[in-house]
Amino acid sequence: MKVAKFYKDAASFTCISNPSLSFPVSRLNDDYCDCPDGSDEPGTSACAHLSPLSPHTPADGAGAAGSNTTLALPGFYCKNKGHIPTYVPFTSVNDGICDYEVCCDGSEEWEGVGGVKCEDRCQSIGKEWRKQDEARQKSLGNAGKKRKELVAEAGRLRKQVEDRIQSLGTEMEGSEIKVKQLEQEVAEVERKEKGKVVRGNVPKKAGKLGVLVGLAKQRTEELRETLERVRGERDSSTSRLQELEGILSTFKEEYNPNFNDEGVKRAVRAWEDYAARDKGPEPEAAHDRDLDAITGSDKDNGLDWEEYEGDDESESETDKVYAFESYLPPSLRGWVDQKLRDLRVTLVDSGILADTTAGSSSGGESKAVTDAKNRLTAAEKEVEKHRKSLNEHQDDLAKDFGPDDVFRALKDQCVSTDAGEYTYEVCFLSKTTQKPKKGGGHTNMGNFVRLERIVVDDELPPNGKGLGSGERIAMKHENGQHCWNGPNRSTMVVLACSESNEVWKIVEEEKCVYRMEVGTPAVCEVLGASAAGVEGKKAGGVRDEL
Amino acid sequence: MLKVNGWSSRWASLLLLCLAVCSLITPAVTVKHENFKTCDQSGFCKRNRAYADTALATSNWASPYSLDAASVKFEKGILTGIVSKKIATTGETVRLPLTVAFYESGTARVTIDEERRQKGDIELRHGSKAKKQRYNEAEKWAVVGGTSVSTGAAASKDAEAGTTKIVYGPASIFEAVIRHAPFGVDFKRDGETQIKFNDQGMLNMEHWRPKVDKPVAEKKEGEEDVAAEADAEDEGTWWDESFGGNTDSKPRGPEAVAMDITFPGYQHVYGVAEHAGPLSLKESRGGDGKYSEPYRLYNSDVFEYEMDSPMTLYGAIPFMQAQKKDSTVGVFWLNAAETWIDVTKSTTAANPLSFGIGSSVTTQTHWISETGLLDVFVFLGPKPQDVIGAYSELTGYTQLPQQFAIAYHQCRWNYVTDDDVKDVDRKFDRYNIPYDVIWLDIEYTEGKKYFTWDPMTFPDPLGMNKQLDEHERKLVAIIDPHIKNEANYPIVEELKSKDLAVHNKDDNIYEGWCWPGSSYWIDCFSPKGREWWKGLFRYDKFKGTAKNVFIWNDMNEPSVFNGPETTMPKDNLHHGHWEHRDLHNINGMTLVNATYEALLARDKSEDKHHVRPFVLTRSFYSGSQRLGAMWTGDNQAAWPHLEASIPMVLSMGVSGFPFAGADVGGFFGNPSKELLTRWYQAGAFYPFFRGHAHIDTRRREPYLAGEPYTQIITQALRLRYSLLPAWYTAFHEASVSGAPIVRPNYYVHPGDEKGFDIDDQLYLGSYGLLAKPVTKEGQEGQDIYLADKEKYFDYFDFWTYEGPGTVTVAAPLETIPLLMQGGHIFPRRDRPRRSSGLMRYDPFTLVVVLGHSGDAEGTLYLDDGESFDFEAGASIHRRFSFVGATSTLMSEDLAAAAAAAPSKKAKDYLKLMEKVRVEKIIIVNAPAAWKGKEEVEISEGLDGESAAARKVTLDWHPKEAGKAAWAVVRDPGVRIGGGWKIGFA
Repeated sequence: MKVAKFYKDAASFTCISNPSLSFPVSRLNDDYCDCPDGSDEPGTSACAHLSPLSPHTPADGAGAAGSNTTLALPGFYCKNKGHIPTYVPFTSVNDGICDYEVCCDGSEEWEGVGGVKCEDRCQSIGKEWRKQDEARQKSLGNAGKKRKELVAEAGRLRKQVEDRIQSLGTEMEGSEIKVKQLEQEVAEVERKEKGKVVRGNVPKKAGKLGVLVGLAKQRTEELRETLERVRGERDSSTSRLQELEGILSTFKEEYNPNFNDEGVKRAVRAWEDYAARDKGPEPEAAHDRDLDAITGSDKDNGLDWEEYEGDDESESETDKVYAFESYLPPSLRGWVDQKLRDLRVTLVDSGILADTTAGSSSGGESKAVTDAKNRLTAAEKEVEKHRKSLNEHQDDLAKDFGPDDVFRALKDQCVSTDAGEYTYEVCFLSKTTQKPKKGGGHTNMGNFVRLERIVVDDELPPNGKGLGSGERIAMKHENGQHCWNGPNRSTMVVLACSESNEVWKIVEEEKCVYRMEVGTPAVCEVLGASAAGVEGKKAGGVRDEL
Repeated sequence: MLKVNGWSSRWASLLLLCLAVCSLITPAVTVKHENFKTCDQSGFCKRNRAYADTALATSNWASPYSLDAASVKFEKGILTGIVSKKIATTGETVRLPLTVAFYESGTARVTIDEERRQKGDIELRHGSKAKKQRYNEAEKWAVVGGTSVSTGAAASKDAEAGTTKIVYGPASIFEAVIRHAPFGVDFKRDGETQIKFNDQGMLNMEHWRPKVDKPVAEKKEGEEDVAAEADAEDEGTWWDESFGGNTDSKPRGPEAVAMDITFPGYQHVYGVAEHAGPLSLKESRGGDGKYSEPYRLYNSDVFEYEMDSPMTLYGAIPFMQAQKKDSTVGVFWLNAAETWIDVTKSTTAANPLSFGIGSSVTTQTHWISETGLLDVFVFLGPKPQDVIGAYSELTGYTQLPQQFAIAYHQCRWNYVTDDDVKDVDRKFDRYNIPYDVIWLDIEYTEGKKYFTWDPMTFPDPLGMNKQLDEHERKLVAIIDPHIKNEANYPIVEELKSKDLAVHNKDDNIYEGWCWPGSSYWIDCFSPKGREWWKGLFRYDKFKGTAKNVFIWNDMNEPSVFNGPETTMPKDNLHHGHWEHRDLHNINGMTLVNATYEALLARDKSEDKHHVRPFVLTRSFYSGSQRLGAMWTGDNQAAWPHLEASIPMVLSMGVSGFPFAGADVGGFFGNPSKELLTRWYQAGAFYPFFRGHAHIDTRRREPYLAGEPYTQIITQALRLRYSLLPAWYTAFHEASVSGAPIVRPNYYVHPGDEKGFDIDDQLYLGSYGLLAKPVTKEGQEGQDIYLADKEKYFDYFDFWTYEGPGTVTVAAPLETIPLLMQGGHIFPRRDRPRRSSGLMRYDPFTLVVVLGHSGDAEGTLYLDDGESFDFEAGASIHRRFSFVGATSTLMSEDLAAAAAAAPSKKAKDYLKLMEKVRVEKIIIVNAPAAWKGKEEVEISEGLDGESAAARKVTLDWHPKEAGKAAWAVVRDPGVRIGGGWKIGFA
């Protein structure tokens, strides 16, 4: 005991944190609190009230002017001979209860209030603890080994990914070169093809107005069809809405407020709000009549497409060109023809002339061009595929798989446990699921979002299967199935070291908010390297964590 | 009757307007008004309000009731006679037997019955099997004592003509002057009239009459049928009545009883719990800031009840007190049927000759019950405690609860598994937060079948109970009166085969809906039903329960989801063929009564050695205080609900049922951390202190709040625990005198008119501890009203305040405004423990608070906190007094048993507590003369053998900057159960 030196003086005692206060030794452990830091009562509960958790008045010692009221001692010291010494909270001293789980020698009940006798059980408790501790240590050793295996496995998996990235890189390069080659090829083919003026390829009525008319007619037809479809959809939605509003207003009339169902009440309130809101303009009959008219045939609307598309009043520019050519002598015609082709290609290439051989009217494309393009597209897809795969693998590398990348080895592995009428399952880095034992649909309790670190403060059960206290890795799962009366289900999976992957505990902390405590070797020795060795100091026989 | 209609339609339109306005300004979440009747929708209330209006509007209104002078007999403290009701339309008279009883306690009782119905000489409609008498068994359930007839009451010879005068009460200072025609009674104290019956002529006993079918077409609303008005009464509400889709067959037709009761000169009335409104009752017939509906008593499961409303709630105590300067009187309207009470006040102009003396206010009340006897008890005070004490003597005193029951209870709908319960239990210890009881709401059962455990979620209830018991903690499990109608459920099979359920109007088993769906209701009015119910709680029958398991009776109004006003049809039949309408308000109490009986003996050892039961109830009636605690039902996590909880708890205190509390944190909704913290600080001053939460809310156990909230909440809990000896003593006082446990200003200072309507601050027991919890968001200071010329000291820093007047106390979040009134001594146990059971042998601290007189006193009551051994004297009851003149503090025995030969149990208990000592005495406002004094002298053993005097240290601190001087006697070591004296001189 570090503080033992303060209690050595045979005649007087000085409060540890308040050296100005000293008392005769007879006031040590006399069940009356003299020191503002409680240091005169290491063996009684007399100073237990010296805590920020208790209400204070000037007369209880804590309020004494300028005194340091932090308790100087962590608790009652239980020697626990045959086991591990420990401190018991002063509030538990001489309260008539043998707190064997912390004070196996029963010394904290030395006064025997109400006739309580706490015999020394340290021999058996210590023995049992050592047995369990041995098992735990062994288990801890195994868990450590398993973690190493997991890390190795994770490393291997990572390596796989890295390798794949490398090979993908090489493949990408190859594909990209291929794409470039094919692009050139396509350009070449096109150049050749563009030079060929094929009259037959020019649409007959490709005059500007003719094209416009054709497009306009087609577009109008499309618009009419769409309008009719939308109108039909609107009508069916309106009737469904009416039906739904009917159901809801009956629901509001008939629901029983005494079933104390928050969800129902919320629904009713939301309905009331909704019903009270401005509903927007009612569909007017006049509008519908307009619609009827609009969707009628074009002729009825005074538009006769045939008037515009009937015969060929004007020649297209090319036609004129060809017409001009026919006036020339044959020898010259050949030269002019060649020049015109070149000019045309130049014009097309420089974007001055519309390219009638390719582009939107692919029907007019030659097979050679099409084939070349298909080869190019295939090659581009290949590149795209590789790029995507590469990105995925790179993302995967960048993802948080926890320390040492260890969860990589557990990805998509599932463990489950039975609790009540359900089986609860967690699939690492994927999702949590509730499965009714009696059969029926599975419920998604949340999809994995990220790893977090949270601080827990639990007592560790003797078998070590629990969270203990300190910082732990947790897996956050969100956006599970929506809960009637509540949020989307979510689960926090808190991990602690264990020899094997196992679900220890599942609690629904609040409506549809779950917490799973899961053991896995993956988190051993990662957080709190202090794991082994400190146990027992705080609470004998009970370790803070594995 | 034209006028009457005019009146009522005006009231109705006013009400409609009011409702319309209210619906505009109230928040979205409120009670469903349409599910509950207004007076106008309740036929008998409407008729009687109309009758009252006629009486008031008619000059020289003559009440048609007169006492037949020749029939009057007075014998052995009981006056009997016949009151005749003259029916104007037919000229017939109805004979109404009158009894006026005068009790030894000074309580008088006026009872009027209906002769024809007494004799069963009536016919019921619809072939009903209901009983023909007016319900005369309310007394059987509500009244347990105080009815020994006075031998001193005597008829006075100097009665004025046309009156009969009886002189009674202590020192014969009370008089009852019975006026023959019209019938009325004036109750006087010292010759001054305090209470008047039928002074306004609203007495109305609707006699039985056959239904005569008239060929006349039904009159339409609003039409003024002058011919019909002239001689016929409006029969529209006499027979079958429908509300919300349910029709009440009313086989006996109209049968209301009503009467006005006037309190001349009394400006305040209190009581008629349970309502969510101010302690001082408001006027109820409209006007600015007043209610337009009467106070209603019809026990109902009111979902999301609203604040400041005369609307009915879960329980009914038809007991009212009237208060004026230095005088308190009261009435108890013993009737179990639906009851409405109108309150109006009138101001009498000041006498122009009496200079400076203001006008006086008179309070009139109008009591209207649907059926039953007119049966009224009268208490003439003059002190609040005289009235509450006399009422409590009649209806029984508060049960002395087990110690754990007054500590902190942790509840939630629901702790979902036995592991969940064990986890919460461990967490409290881990965070060093004390608690005594953890609760299970309905989800622990298998499919809402009471007396079962869900095998999936509670596979090991005994293991759970065992863990709780390791730190002397308890479990409270819910058991409701509706029994699920499902095959293979032995409980319902027995209920049906033994025919122990409530019947419908056709006398077949009544089926309704509640939590489990289709259900039947145990009829605890039936002796066989109660006997059966008792058996269900035996440990070998309700498996999974142990000695540390207690019971919560909820939904016992009864709540029936598909019934009219969420309760049973009024024409349902109970044991003895009483209609549900006859006894509705008592129904909840009968269930608790049966459960209480059941908990007295759950195995062979308990058959011989009972432990005190603990039952929490939502529904209650006068008398329920004998059986356990109540809470204010399903409140909300909102500041106004926190605020309203204080007047509600105070109102229960002065209604003879002080073991009351509200759900800390608010049931519905999620409280902010500030609200939760403030609610714990307020809850620490509720006699019943329980945190509770709805199933859809987030978890809110104190350790989850986070800092600084968890720490502040823990301080509030530890404050409650350290003051448990004071609380327990206050409970003991309530259990022997009916005194409130937390007390409103008027009760403590009945001479201080200014404080009569103060209901947001409270005194704990007789200790002068005055708390005013903060109930508003963001509030950092608190104004506290000090009624008397006395010094008050801040509990936490000894800051000195001086009354009378209002003082402002700093109240940041971590502070509970709590003052100590000079002149008191209160006991504490300062060592924080995990539960109250573990404080059993802890030493005491005494706090002596010296005021102007320099004297102080206070008491301590202590026993084992669980058994009935205290009845055999196994208790410690001390009075501590400090006499300023001699500077001595002494402890004297108050236990009556100590004088005579103490029982073995008494001796054993004293022996057990022999080592329990006083570890510290704190003197607040210690005399300056003690400066420099370092020792006090102790002589112990005053109760018998004496020991040599010894000296212990005194530590005196001077006053500084507004804070009082104080002194501490260091470890006097005197026995808490022994006599001793400490000399400070």
